[in-house]
Amino acid sequence: MAKVLFQWDYSKYPGAEKYPHLFKPIQVGELTVPNRIVYAATEDNLNSHDGFVTDADVAYMRSRAEGVVGGMCFMQGVYMDPERKGQGYVGQAACWDDKFIPGLKRLAEAIHSEKAIAGFQLMDCGRVGAVEVPFGKGPSTVPQRLRIFRPMHEMTKDEIKTMIRQHLDSAKRGLEAGFDVIEISGIVGYLISNFISSYTNRRTDEYGGDIRGRMKAVVEIIEGLKNICPKEVPVGIRLCAEELLDDVRGNTPEESMMSYKISEEAGIDYISVTAGWQESIVPVISRDVPQGSWLHLAKRSKENVKVPIMMAYRLFDPAIPHAAIEKGELDMWQMCRPMIADPLMPKKVLEGKEEEIRWCVACNLCLARLFRDAPMTCYINPLCAHEHDPKFTNPPAAEEQKNVMIVGAGPAGLECAYTAAHRGHEVHVYDKRDKLGGTLLEASKAPYGDNELFTCIDYQKVLCEKAGVNFHMGTEVTEDLIRDELPDSVVLATGPVYAKLDVPGADEVKTVTVLDVLRGDAEVGERVLVWGTRKPGIGVALLLAKQGKKVTIVGKEKSAGFDINPSFKWRYMIYLRQNGVKAYNDVVIEEIQGNEAILKTFDGYRFPVKFDTLVVAERGPNENLKNVVQGEGLELFVIGDALVPRNLSSAVHDGFRIGIRI
Amino acid sequence: MAFDAEKEITKLWGNLRSAQAEIGRTYFRWRQAALALAGPDANPLDVSLKAAEVIGKELGKQSIPRLNWLKGEEVWLRSLAGGIAAQWIMQGAVVKVEKGEKPTEAFIKWERCPWPTFAKEYGVTMEEDALCCDRILQSILPDVNVFFNVNYKIETLKAIPRGQGVCLRRLFKA
Repeated sequence: MAKVLFQWDYSKYPGAEKYPHLFKPIQVGELTVPNRIVYAATEDNLNSHDGFVTDADVAYMRSRAEGVVGGMCFMQGVYMDPERKGQGYVGQAACWDDKFIPGLKRLAEAIHSEKAIAGFQLMDCGRVGAVEVPFGKGPSTVPQRLRIFRPMHEMTKDEIKTMIRQHLDSAKRGLEAGFDVIEISGIVGYLISNFISSYTNRRTDEYGGDIRGRMKAVVEIIEGLKNICPKEVPVGIRLCAEELLDDVRGNTPEESMMSYKISEEAGIDYISVTAGWQESIVPVISRDVPQGSWLHLAKRSKENVKVPIMMAYRLFDPAIPHAAIEKGELDMWQMCRPMIADPLMPKKVLEGKEEEIRWCVACNLCLARLFRDAPMTCYINPLCAHEHDPKFTNPPAAEEQKNVMIVGAGPAGLECAYTAAHRGHEVHVYDKRDKLGGTLLEASKAPYGDNELFTCIDYQKVLCEKAGVNFHMGTEVTEDLIRDELPDSVVLATGPVYAKLDVPGADEVKTVTVLDVLRGDAEVGERVLVWGTRKPGIGVALLLAKQGKKVTIVGKEKSAGFDINPSFKWRYMIYLRQNGVKAYNDVVIEEIQGNEAILKTFDGYRFPVKFDTLVVAERGPNENLKNVVQGEGLELFVIGDALVPRNLSSAVHDGFRIGIRI
Repeated sequence: MAFDAEKEITKLWGNLRSAQAEIGRTYFRWRQAALALAGPDANPLDVSLKAAEVIGKELGKQSIPRLNWLKGEEVWLRSLAGGIAAQWIMQGAVVKVEKGEKPTEAFIKWERCPWPTFAKEYGVTMEEDALCCDRILQSILPDVNVFFNVNYKIETLKAIPRGQGVCLRRLFKA
């Protein structure tokens, strides 16, 4: 009889009725998991730089444990060598000595306090490791494709044996700390995947050669773990079902499936399916990849092995994994980013509160931060990584209830509105338009998945309604209105103003704004010049290029997409190229001569670009109403693009921070 | 101000030529500095060959992210040869890539190259110029070979500094 750690009864919850397959138990090894929810091990860079667990990480994990409502909750992968070659992130937890056990125990206890199953992951970062030392280790000395990663040293056989022993010793520490599941990370370019892949393993000894040879170290680790783990502690592995490394002669899909079968033969209790490496040139999890795109890999895995199969990778909408489990193509629904954006996401699904979920927008800012040695943060969730700080998680009630006028019902204004209302303020949101959303109404019409951005507004709307925010839609705020209402505080969240091209000849040009075009209100010719190379300019350029127009995008910044995080920006650069959009950076429009714009480079060269329509995507701060508010002596806050035009994330974070401050 | 295309192109072209000339001068100024530091007992050719090795290794690393096996070995080889040619084209050489008899063979032909002229300006022998180019090209390949698990070599068949009119190199699978 399989062990049950915590009793859960989901029968009275609406989510269990709507998604019965997500909330039914499953046996993993000799352990019964009450539901099909898994928070996958995710680095957060919140721990100390010498590997000790911090209060911030404990609080971060506790909130995710609450979210899985009895499912599996994995702490981040630990590195296991004192030389720190296996450390891939500056704030990664360590486990190479018993001195780390007390911190790990705190994490296990935090997860258990929410009646969730505590997962412990062993993660030597291999080829993408050595973040604090000059050389990394791997099965072979294959040069790095990306210079941000360290040069590699080939491991000797003794070093391989040591690495295997370190896995087993670390697992023992994890068990001592109280974890219930042990997992090996064998994905995305970490050491175990380096052994498995034909791209990085060129050894000719018993640890190289064909896929069985390349799996030998993995098999020895799995067998060792099965020996030391009690039978009710499942041992799992995360493995690539497709490396997506064909361009550098990586494993074939058949070889990847062989790695699954060999792991199963070695005694593994479950497999977590992944796709791609950090070095892959194929997009895997960014917003431009439709949700559910990788489910065929889970299905293929189910056809090849009998152990439970779990998977993350763009499975945000619970209906997708639910249907997959129902069809027998998947066993468990794993998540990283959706629970970074909203740690209680699956709990809200269970409670039938899906409209209260803050959905991940798959921007990959979280990853971009980790690779740049910065603590985890979330584009859309201002509380992320502040779970230990009550000022964020439970802001104190307002000492004095104020009448707050928020001008603008976009993401900044709405975030501020419900946050301030929760604290006891009387909040009134005004917008001259009839619909909530501000410029996101238009921005979400850009191609490559930007419709998902609008989920932010759907969420904020529900939170505002619950908090009792008063809406005055279709009401333009004027000087008179401010004087009539005389609120205690005014928050200007009016969005940006669009720049006017002030060069000779500009008056004779057909000019429209990015919003007109995205809304579909503007008539646009066949040759378009987009002025502004940040995200709004890129979005509209791609939309028009997909309509078959010849588009040129120009701006004063050194590279297009300055406001897009690097983990996503590369996608846009490829799309601009694929859609034939010409981008001229570091240039200004000097003058317009008939149907030509004369561009001037930063170093003084001039050249003409033909066009018939100018689309303005350059933005500036919105100073309107500021003087009136200050003139009346009212408390004033300016947030979002009205303060400095930036991106959706800045709008949300601005709104939240002012909401807890008013 | 009216746009004058000829004026803009002349200005741009002039600055490009100056920048290309400066690349050569910079290299030979550094060579002088290295020889001064190495002392009178050092063999100038050894110093230059070491520099050539460093340059080649860097070019090899630089080429790895630009190469792609997806379209097969023949296309991959042409990309590698094209990438090598582009390095010299940027410096003002006229370089062409031609297919070999086998899909695993390509020829790179320098019809004009500024480096022998730079070398003469700084009193460097033509043989050193030829040997350094060889060393750069050979040093590009080790990292590329390991990364893609192949074994390509490059050999010099003709060299401008040896008075043979063109530099001709054969890039081939060993």
